[in-house]
Amino acid sequence: MRLIAVILSALMPLCAAAQSRDAILTDVTQAHILPRFDHLVEATAALDATARADCAPGSADLRAAYHAAFDAWISASHLRFGPTEVGDRAFALTFWPDSKGFTPKALSAMIAAEDPAIADPDAFAETSIAGRGFLALERMLYDLAFADQGDAAYRCGLIRAIATDIHRTARAIDRDWHGYASILAQPGPDSPYRSSDEALQELYKALVTGLEFTADTRLGRPMGSFDRPRPNRAEARRSLRSLRHVELSLVALRDLAARLAADHPQIAAALDDAFARSIARAQALDDPALAGVAEPQGRLRVEALQQSINDIRSLAAAQLGPTLGISAGFNSLDGD
Amino acid sequence: MPRFLSAASTLTLLISSAASAGDAPATPAVLDTYADIAQATYEDSLTAANRLRAAVDALIERPSAQTLQAARAAWIAARVPYQQSEVFRFGNPIVDDWEGKVNAWPLDEGLIDYVDAAYGGATDENAFAALNVIANPTFQLSGETIDATEITPTLLAETLHEADGIEANVATGYHAIEFLLWGQDMNGHGPGAGNRPWTDYAQGDACTNGNCDRRAQYLQAATDLLVSDLEWMAAQWQDGGAARAALFENEGAGLTAMLTGMGSLSYGEQAGERMRLGLMLNDPEEEHDCFSDNTHNSHYYDGLGIQNVYLGSYVRIDGTLVSGPSLSDLVLASAPELDDEMKTKLAHTMQALGRIKTTAEAGLAYDQMLERGHAGGEALIMGGVNALIDQTKTIERIVTALDLDQIAFEGSDSLDNPDAVFQ
Repeated sequence: MRLIAVILSALMPLCAAAQSRDAILTDVTQAHILPRFDHLVEATAALDATARADCAPGSADLRAAYHAAFDAWISASHLRFGPTEVGDRAFALTFWPDSKGFTPKALSAMIAAEDPAIADPDAFAETSIAGRGFLALERMLYDLAFADQGDAAYRCGLIRAIATDIHRTARAIDRDWHGYASILAQPGPDSPYRSSDEALQELYKALVTGLEFTADTRLGRPMGSFDRPRPNRAEARRSLRSLRHVELSLVALRDLAARLAADHPQIAAALDDAFARSIARAQALDDPALAGVAEPQGRLRVEALQQSINDIRSLAAAQLGPTLGISAGFNSLDGD
Repeated sequence: MPRFLSAASTLTLLISSAASAGDAPATPAVLDTYADIAQATYEDSLTAANRLRAAVDALIERPSAQTLQAARAAWIAARVPYQQSEVFRFGNPIVDDWEGKVNAWPLDEGLIDYVDAAYGGATDENAFAALNVIANPTFQLSGETIDATEITPTLLAETLHEADGIEANVATGYHAIEFLLWGQDMNGHGPGAGNRPWTDYAQGDACTNGNCDRRAQYLQAATDLLVSDLEWMAAQWQDGGAARAALFENEGAGLTAMLTGMGSLSYGEQAGERMRLGLMLNDPEEEHDCFSDNTHNSHYYDGLGIQNVYLGSYVRIDGTLVSGPSLSDLVLASAPELDDEMKTKLAHTMQALGRIKTTAEAGLAYDQMLERGHAGGEALIMGGVNALIDQTKTIERIVTALDLDQIAFEGSDSLDNPDAVFQ
């Protein structure tokens, strides 16, 4: 504890008073985190109920429920720590990128074997993570390759099992977040966060990792290189959601950034402007599956969007992080 | 003599742990130790790769079950020092830029040689997943006709490796060689590794699966390339070498490089990409050394490399100890509690990885642990994952305590999910 005190006192002159850090932590958990997971539970409950009522892949109701629930998850998916991460829950909601095609493989294997795991939610939760979640459901609803594979009744059961599993995962995340919120907001020697610095670092990390993922992965993967664009790598392209995910994530991250910068109006305003520019670019793109990356003109526009997100990253790294007295630490994007 | 050495090193340990706050080693001395360990680790990797090359030459000159077995044993031995070098990757751009040539993974092995029908053909992501260059002396690649009548190191390195910009087109390095020595592991979650017959290298009528001469040519070219790549890297860490020089350009950045390597390997790479992903997918091929079933060792020596960097000591493959002023000494001087925490967590990781290793050596291979519903296997692997994640948290605390620059990140192309952070 002596050590923590030393670090804290060293940081003090740089950053806002501890009281306001606690206020930020409370605000982010109560106004940013919990409402998102509460909403995810509602939207996935509707998805589960709709799939029970109608499992036809072409059903307008089912597709609408899929979109609404996926929206809710993308708007929360940057909060990928604590209860979201336990038991690989975030991966169970979206396994992506899938560079080796695990999702179609896992689904084909289930269908071919008529794997009985679909009848039991606990058993289904033990199956390959690539065959679960929104992108598995997307394949079943939108990929023609799965429209007539195997037995129709089994496919219907599989769609229902995936929807039920998504809802179960969402409920588990939300339930645990209602307990974890106080851990995050009240750091201490026995908490995973020993100081408000460590808790704040977690939230800052969620912001910069979310920006990194959207710029480098959501946009960078389909962009590929100029000579070899890879439009087929766009996220959720089969249901035309690729660009939507970029926009939803920016809207969510904008809210988080504003709350983290609450005590620093100038930085908050600069960040907000940068987000506004990025979101406007995304909205003007009119290229839902990011297929335009294959044409020089379209690629240029996606590149401009990516650059505008990188501008937000630079701003966060140069101003927000140092002002809060925290660094980004390590994240799972480190590595190959 | 060995007894004397161990007594002496025990003494050193006692002295260093008795050191009190205040007598921190100079940063250049800590960086020196780090560079010395890197140099020794790459030199050992080179020595072991030369032994592998000799064993491969023997296999090709006198194909037999014995010479194939000897080449496999040489490959497994070569992994011991190399895996301990992986901790040097992420903090040192010179290593990271080069690493893909020698240890790229995972691979679409159908690019190289024959595969089982269940492997499938070209995929959405990779049009060359089943190219089979050993069976095809000429082929089309991105609109160009490639002449592969002679399989040379240059062909592998400059044309085939990452062909079409696809990272899974791994034509060179340890895992390409591993595939050529073991073949595909067709046992799924059952016991057993790849079982390539030695007759895949027999000449004349005894040759199995065709093109034995070209297969031998490929294996030799890939092994030669591994040796020359390691020669290059070992030289970068000698006095005046570029990697060593880069480290000293800015002492703070040098320390950051050390910690970045430890943290990035622990968290994003090993805990995430290499361990947890396989478990989530329950896929027996989603293991780092999937042909040879040597994954338990790969993980173990990766972990050991991280511990080496922190403690400033490395045991060479000839038994010599390389050691000196360490990061641990530096942390001890200003934050003894944190040094204690780091050492404890590193030891805990080694215990968790050791459990995977001993269990695998007792007969439960890593791919068996990955099976759906295998509670014991899952607990073993998650033990390693959790320990690695936990030690990363302390590495972050050290970055803060030493007041180092912000850790710079490397993007990820394969796991690519911000499963950020700690519970």
